[in-house]
Amino acid sequence: MTKALTTEPQRLDDLREIVAEVLEIEPEEITETSDFAEEHDADSLRAIEILARIEKKYKVSIPQAELPNMVNLRAVYTVLAQYADWQD
Amino acid sequence: MTAQLTRPLLSHADITRVLPHRHPVLLVDSVLELEPGVAITATKAVTGSEPCYAGLADGLPDSAYAYPVSLIVESFGQAGAVLWLVGTPDDERPVGTLIFGAARGVVVHDRAYPGDVLTHRVRIETITGPNAFMSGEVHAGDRLVATIGQVLAVIRETDALDGN
Repeated sequence: MTKALTTEPQRLDDLREIVAEVLEIEPEEITETSDFAEEHDADSLRAIEILARIEKKYKVSIPQAELPNMVNLRAVYTVLAQYADWQD
Repeated sequence: MTAQLTRPLLSHADITRVLPHRHPVLLVDSVLELEPGVAITATKAVTGSEPCYAGLADGLPDSAYAYPVSLIVESFGQAGAVLWLVGTPDDERPVGTLIFGAARGVVVHDRAYPGDVLTHRVRIETITGPNAFMSGEVHAGDRLVATIGQVLAVIRETDALDGN
């Protein structure tokens, strides 16, 4: 993967895909700020699944302590960007 | 099938020292192969005296004795938990209650009946904190009974389980 070609919108779409698969909903239902728990019925186990899939796909290690912060797509992106060391 | 001539790698008694489950919900009989942290092969014999067949009426068709898929998946998950826990040093083992978290991508190819010995082949996909993701297949002899896309086993502190 060429890093320069993987932009923020593309990454958000990839993350949206992962989250939609775990929550068993359509990607279009997930906006950047729709709350996983409140609006998409996510529970703590689903959150763990999302975390694990992201860790696997991006080959990063994200502490469990970040889970409470990963409440919506934008927040997941922000946490991931921090641990994947994305500068853009 | 030939009779089992040698002692399994882990006996039923050994398994009770790893898993908290007990009769009649301990659904792993023996472990044949174990590569700690990677993969396990474990068995579960299905018999006509399983509690799930208690009280069935006379005259039912064979299909009434198909071993419940929910119990196959639970048994698979327990085999996976053995793999996870045996591969984790005591001082790194999460403290709390072992729980079946979730199953995803379970495809049933065939049914199992009394007399079948289920063989679970479980691989660890990812372990993140007190959560283990596993996948694999279930056979009865040469027959593929199920493929398991993902099973999630977790350990949670007991007080964290109250109310939530």
